[in-house]
Amino acid sequence: MKIGIPRALLYYKNEKLWTKFFDELGIDYIISPETTKETIENGSKYAIDETCLPIKIFLGHIDYLKDKCDYIFLPRIERAQDRETCLNFRAQYDLVKNAFRDYNLNILFYNDMGHKEHKEEKAFKKLCKYLHIKKSIGKYAYKIAKQTQMYYEMFRSENQENILKSTKKPKVLILAHAYNIGDKYIGEPIIHMLEKLGVQPIIAEYFDHKKCVKESNKVTKTLPWSYNRHLVGALELYKDAVDGAVILTTYPCGPDSMCNDMMVRDYKDIPLITLTIDAQDGSAGLETRLESFTDILNYKRNNNNE
Amino acid sequence: MKGYLGIDIGSISTKGVVIDEDLNIVASEYLWTEGDPMGAVKRLLKVLENQLKDKDIKIVSVGTTGSARKLIGVMTNASVVKNEITAHAVGTTTLHPDVNTIFEIGGQDSKIIIIENGYVTDYAMNTLCAAGTGSFLSSQAHRLGVTVEEFGEIALKSQHPTNIAARCTVFAESDLVHKAQIGHSKEDIIAGLCKAVVTNYLNNIGKGKKFRPPIVFQGGVSKNVGVKKAFEDAVGHEVIVDKNGHLMGAFGVAVLAKKSGIEKDFSFDVADIKFRTTGFDCPKCANHCEIVCVFKDDKLIDSWGNKCDNGTVKIN
Repeated sequence: MKIGIPRALLYYKNEKLWTKFFDELGIDYIISPETTKETIENGSKYAIDETCLPIKIFLGHIDYLKDKCDYIFLPRIERAQDRETCLNFRAQYDLVKNAFRDYNLNILFYNDMGHKEHKEEKAFKKLCKYLHIKKSIGKYAYKIAKQTQMYYEMFRSENQENILKSTKKPKVLILAHAYNIGDKYIGEPIIHMLEKLGVQPIIAEYFDHKKCVKESNKVTKTLPWSYNRHLVGALELYKDAVDGAVILTTYPCGPDSMCNDMMVRDYKDIPLITLTIDAQDGSAGLETRLESFTDILNYKRNNNNE
Repeated sequence: MKGYLGIDIGSISTKGVVIDEDLNIVASEYLWTEGDPMGAVKRLLKVLENQLKDKDIKIVSVGTTGSARKLIGVMTNASVVKNEITAHAVGTTTLHPDVNTIFEIGGQDSKIIIIENGYVTDYAMNTLCAAGTGSFLSSQAHRLGVTVEEFGEIALKSQHPTNIAARCTVFAESDLVHKAQIGHSKEDIIAGLCKAVVTNYLNNIGKGKKFRPPIVFQGGVSKNVGVKKAFEDAVGHEVIVDKNGHLMGAFGVAVLAKKSGIEKDFSFDVADIKFRTTGFDCPKCANHCEIVCVFKDDKLIDSWGNKCDNGTVKIN
């Protein structure tokens, strides 16, 4: 049995949890390769106009996996830190089932729904039952995988804090969802551009999720989406530690359209720019914006030092 | 005397300015790019060379800005290649040192630059949509049968500007047709359009920002007195339009070239050298980057467009 994991969307949130889980069980899996222009083109064929870019990318990864494995792994995750996720994540299963109806795909999924405690563990338990894996073995594999994911996140978060303290370069907080900043086609070029301009990118996504979501309560009581809360919380927590912030968003993102506007209006003391990425080519617009943005940060720094 | 050349190559127009050591403009030209930045710059250089004929100016440094800055920077051996936002800000603050807010509406883009004590502290640019920029105004002028040049004057005659939906160009256009059909006068509609451009600008680009005077309004649309007046009505302050407002980017980058202190050989003969660019799709991975190579007299001098090292073109 071979399981295909699409390198898209929630993979970037649960990478270690998923891979370690299958590692522990000795199940063979493949992860689709990094996103390229081709991935987006292939994905767009299965999507309607209004779907957001990350979903098009996601469908492109499914397209790659569709004839290379026995099962495609697509968990349904409804909540994180007791806040909602985007509807698109909950619809993944149905979306793929429908868009790829001609291919008879086998979809392997766990259903992480509801408000109860240990709901994730229960979801994995059901998954094991479906795969005819002994309860105790499945439970153990989950524990190990969960721990690995936890340590990985802790390490990432500490690493960011260290960079924040030690670097002398201007620091820019990148406010972007995991699947955007982690993506080789969307996020990586932005990180490279900033580094080339002599700026240290600080990635909001890498900070501790729990802490950020908690902090976001100070800013807004009503914002429903967990992952957006993470970004708002990160901005609130680190706004004084960085020189500026870049909001990186993909078009068209529903949650971001509300949340980004709120951040732009509420945080006036810190230089902020919004970059909207569509499937367009040509990085000239991005370069112009990032270059002038770093000019501002440098002027400000020199001004304060004088 | 030493001179500094600044070139601003936009999508629609190409601007060139030569300044002397005291930052006075000694030569300037504004012409259409016509989709051929290299050809436009060659024409520009010819004109500037003519203007400088009787003056004792030797150009020691070149700066380029605008969307084709990189290409033209390679062509002219530029010391400074700078984005248009910084260039505009430098240009305007040099001429108006006390400016706090710059409104700019060009042919296809619009931006706002906020300045404190001579330094840019914030800016915003239009994103995916070109609503309310110069090209929108010119197409609507055409629809109404007036030229862009007389547009502003007609708008000033209106007593009761018509309300036109400003959020989106497509809606604005259908709204405009509707208002004309139900009998609003032409001047009212034209004034309404100017107002719509301003409302759109302030809502989209200027959202959440404070507009502190003095305010300078520049870019092609600043020549339209109707839009200028609509800005003044909406903001409640006087809005300054500089007579050299359309040259500000070129002027700014010339100032930056001077400030950089880097002096490089430059000769107007560049206009006669054959430059050629070719583009190809890199076959080495699935990204298919479009790579551009620049040739000077059939010798490769630069290339760009690659996302990774695989696509690097060797330069001999």
